[in-house]
Formats: sequence, structure tokens, C-alpha cells
Amino acid sequence: MKFLKARAWVLRAVSISMVCLGFAQVAPAGMISTSQFVENEARVESLSRIEVLLAREDVAKQMVALGVQPQQVMERLDAMTTAELLELESRFDEQVAGGDALALIGAVFLVLLILELVGVTDIFKSI
Amino acid sequence: MPALLLLLCGCASIPGEVRSLPHNISTELDGTPFYPQELYQCGPAALTTTLVASGVDAKVDDIVEKVFLPGRKGSLQIELVAAARQYDRLPYVIDGTLGAVQAELEAGRPVLVLQNLGIAAAPRWHYAVVVGIDPERREVVLRSGTEPRRVTPLMTFLRTWRRGDYWGLVLLRPDELPAVVDRARYLSTITSLEDTGRHVAAAEAWGTAATRWPTDRVALFGLANAEFGRGNLQAAEAAYRQLLDIDDGHVAARNNLAWTLAEQGRFEEAQLEIARAMELNADAALEEELRDTEAQILRKSGAAR
Repeated sequence: MKFLKARAWVLRAVSISMVCLGFAQVAPAGMISTSQFVENEARVESLSRIEVLLAREDVAKQMVALGVQPQQVMERLDAMTTAELLELESRFDEQVAGGDALALIGAVFLVLLILELVGVTDIFKSI
Repeated sequence: MPALLLLLCGCASIPGEVRSLPHNISTELDGTPFYPQELYQCGPAALTTTLVASGVDAKVDDIVEKVFLPGRKGSLQIELVAAARQYDRLPYVIDGTLGAVQAELEAGRPVLVLQNLGIAAAPRWHYAVVVGIDPERREVVLRSGTEPRRVTPLMTFLRTWRRGDYWGLVLLRPDELPAVVDRARYLSTITSLEDTGRHVAAAEAWGTAATRWPTDRVALFGLANAEFGRGNLQAAEAAYRQLLDIDDGHVAARNNLAWTLAEQGRFEEAQLEIARAMELNADAALEEELRDTEAQILRKSGAAR
């Protein structure tokens, strides 16, 4: 953790460029993008390109480890905003993955059956 | 035993503002398509359903490649949202109330929801699409899993939806506003569309926002920048000026107006605007950008001579 903090501090210290990847494609330097303006209003801490690239690399590794084809990983990361990318970097494991997966053991099964019968859950219907 | 049940499922009652239905009229969007899900792929199925319902020619197999995480046997909310943007739709998270769902259905839009069909201790996370609500019969109609028309009692739906944090998503075309609109949330949805490279759709959505809120600083700035990005310099200039009429001290708008004038070869006007912007930039927050712009104007005017 200490190392991570130090790394973040160093990156912040050397960072000079604002992140506005989308707008940068169409607008010249000096033009102020909408997201940059909105963030400026909200006093959101700006991140360096390096920090974002490191976050990307980190999330990409996790996605490959979860079975996503490497060529698709880049496309999927490109579709995310910086905020979404950083959310995944810091809390990937806490994200809910909707997919009906379920692991049941005996005692829990009985409780669930009761809950189902009284209409609290809807777990046993075919999906 | 009731105490044990309460403890196990944490089933506090559903708040009145969540479960109340403003209209007593039954709505069902019969025309909503259905894509039966493959194992663990309720996310791609539900997203395809809502995309096609909003007029996109989407294929389940393509969506699987954009959102499915094999190792997690499911799909993340962030990726559903990100994938919807790639089809030029605004993924707008609605208020987590049954009234908001009903309002969207009445506007003709099905609602993609996250449910936990199990309990906190044994979750079974599931995406489905709400296509109907019948207030009289207290029922919700869903496109869910392999069932094209699943009818669920209202209270059961509410309990499973509560465990999904009342997360509901509608996909808006760039010319559409949500039935119940939260201004800040809608504008940030457009910003996200723009930041992920969907410039044409974002420009149209900024137009929608500026029409809805004609004196809003963010909407006007967004519209002006989008017009600039598309090379419509006169439209961009008009929108920056409209914004400056409302807020004379808007430094970012004045900076960008200076750029827009310089791009049109009107260097003297551009220099006046950037000088004024520098005067107004009291807290020096945009110092670097202003200097960049000034340098560019000088360079361009020198090159034009």
C-alpha cells in the first residue's frame, strides 16, 4: 500500500497533462472540453495520462485473467470513461456480475425454500 | 422464526416513494423483442432487448463479446452502460422507483433492471427487462432469462429489485429525454458519450439538452464545443455568445470563442476575447489553456499574413 501511495504521489508530481482523451481527438490544445469544464467546476482532482494508462493496464490484466480475448479487452476499455476505468481498477472484485450464477449448500437451501414459499425470493423459477 | 427471516433477508419494508404508482393504468410494451439467454448471459440478452427496442440493429453475439466476463459468469453494470454508448445510445440510470419505471414504459421505453433473485448471503444476480406493469393485478411483466413473458407479483419484484439497489437503465436516442429527468445526471450521461468518442451522437444530445434548458451553462457549453468539434464554427460561435450573454464571466467559453474566431481568420476579434478572458481569470485556474490559445492565435495570424 505504501508503495502504491508513493507511486501515485510521484505520478501526480510529474504529471502535466489533463486527461480529456475524447475531446483531444477533435479539438486543438487550448480549447477547453466540456468534461474538463465540468470537472473544473466540481473541483475534481485531475489525473495524469500516466495514471490512467496504469489503471488501464491493471484492468486489462484482470479482464484477460477472467477469460476475455485480449483483442476484445482493448475495445472494451476504449468504451469506458476514465471514471468507470478507475472504478473498476479500485473495486473490480466488488462489482456485481449479473449472470444467474448460484452456489447452494444444504442449510441455505432449506432457508431459501422457505423464503421462496413466503414470496421473499424468486430464486427457483426457471430463469 | 419471523425475526430469523428478517435477519436473513434484511427485508425491511419497501419505502412508499419506491412502490407507489402514480397512474392506475396498465401498460405493456408488447412490441419489445425477446432474446432468450444462454447460460449466465442474461446481461447480453437484456441489453440486446433494450437496444433493439430503441431502434438499434444489435446482435446478441456481438453484445456477448462486449460485456460478458466468463470468469465471473456474468456481466458488469459498467460494461452494459459502456456497450450501450457504442451504439450511440444514452444509458440513463432512472430514479429507483416504480413510478419512474412506469413513466418510462408509458413513454414507450422498456427498462433494464438488476435483480438479486436470491438473498444477500446467497445472491443470484440477474438482469431482466421490465416491459409492463399492471397496477390492478399488482404484477410486473418481464423479458427474463428464457421466458418471453414472465409475470411476477409486484411485491416480489420490488424485493428482488431492492437487493439490486433499485438499479434501472433506459437507453435514450440522442433526441430523447428521460420521462423523469435529473438534469445533472442527464448532462453527465452526455459527457460520458462524448468522452468515449461518440461525437456525432453527443452533439445531437447537447442540442436536446440546450433546447430543454436554454439558459443552462453546461448544456450551452456542451453544445458549442460539440459544434466546434464538428467544424460548424458559426453555430459554435453563436452558442458561445449565447452563453456569454447569460454569464459574461465564463472564462472557458470566452477562451473557446477566441479559438473559434481565430479558426475563422478573425484574429483581431479573437485577440480581444482572449485578452478579456485573461482579465477575468482571477483564480488562474485556466491559465495554461489561455496562454496556449493566445499563442495559437498569434501563430495563426502570423501565418496568415
